[in-house]
Amino acid sequence: MNIALINASPKATGSASKVLLEDLAGLINEDDTVKDFAINKPSIAEHEVGELCKCDAWVFAFPLYVDGIPSHLLSCLCRMEQMSISNRQIYVYAIVNCGFYEGKQCHNALAIMENWCDKTGFIWGMGIGYGGGGALASMGNIPLGRGPKRSLGQAYRILANAILTDTQTENYYTSVSLPEFLYRQAAEYSWKQMIKANGGRYADLNKKI
Amino acid sequence: MRLIISDVLDLPIAEDGECRVIYNNGNIHHCIGCFGCWGKTPGRCVIKDGYENMGELMSRCSELILISRCTYGGFSPFVKNVLDRTISYASPHFEMRKGEMHHKRRYENVIGLTAYFYGENITENEKQTATDIVSANSINYDGKVNEVLFFNSADQVKEALA
Repeated sequence: MNIALINASPKATGSASKVLLEDLAGLINEDDTVKDFAINKPSIAEHEVGELCKCDAWVFAFPLYVDGIPSHLLSCLCRMEQMSISNRQIYVYAIVNCGFYEGKQCHNALAIMENWCDKTGFIWGMGIGYGGGGALASMGNIPLGRGPKRSLGQAYRILANAILTDTQTENYYTSVSLPEFLYRQAAEYSWKQMIKANGGRYADLNKKI
Repeated sequence: MRLIISDVLDLPIAEDGECRVIYNNGNIHHCIGCFGCWGKTPGRCVIKDGYENMGELMSRCSELILISRCTYGGFSPFVKNVLDRTISYASPHFEMRKGEMHHKRRYENVIGLTAYFYGENITENEKQTATDIVSANSINYDGKVNEVLFFNSADQVKEALA
């Protein structure tokens, strides 16, 4: 079985989506082949889609953007709908991470992916909505299923089983395994660090123009 | 002010101090997820392509009107691109609203959201998703939904606006 892991974050490096896909790759059997793809621009070449079509399953990972999918990925999905793709017997899965704590807030982005499958003829497998994804980029070294990635490990057992058995199942929503107040404190700290690194003051984060 | 973001060109609407229409000029860049609009130049996007002041424009509007082809139950790539570039309208700080985490307000204005979706074969699932997305947007803007409308074509939208 060939599985396409598609990093659809607009960030070329350092994305939470990359961490999410690396952790998933560790659950794929040695008998199966994982192929890495990246969609970080609003265009996709026909040869890239051709390579994708050689795979049996596509797993997209991307951040939630304004309650939906990032516009660059949307442009690529529209382009793929227009292309004459002969192999539509492909299962599509999606892992959406959001900066909010509740993974459930990703449900509209997953609905768009499912609607895209309905429109194009691909087979919707399942999706994961993961809250607190902002913390993931710095968690590359934490083993899946441990500490703050405990809940992700549970979600991935379901996802990996669905992928490897070509099955459809309900979307699954979860959050980073940190207390909500701790996640908020970590987020506040990162904003403070960022504005200071850029020569600003903490109060500037609320600046009105 | 009424702020209109439209993927339909030449709307029968006159722009003045009370109405601004954002059209696709063909040069818009997608959001790259750098968060510069929060942590580097708060309130303004760092990508200088003519769409960097979308958050600021939203702070001056009482009604936001989105005119978009219904694309898998969401907005079209252009309208979504503009919306992705508006996140500086809110502050990066979090707060809980209606039991969910959202960003705090940066500005005081309350936005009423109206969406005109169009397309030849919009499915019931797509209509539901589109309605849910506009509702979610309004919660994130700490605003309200005025109306979500569906049309069969862009021309029908123009007729409704005329």
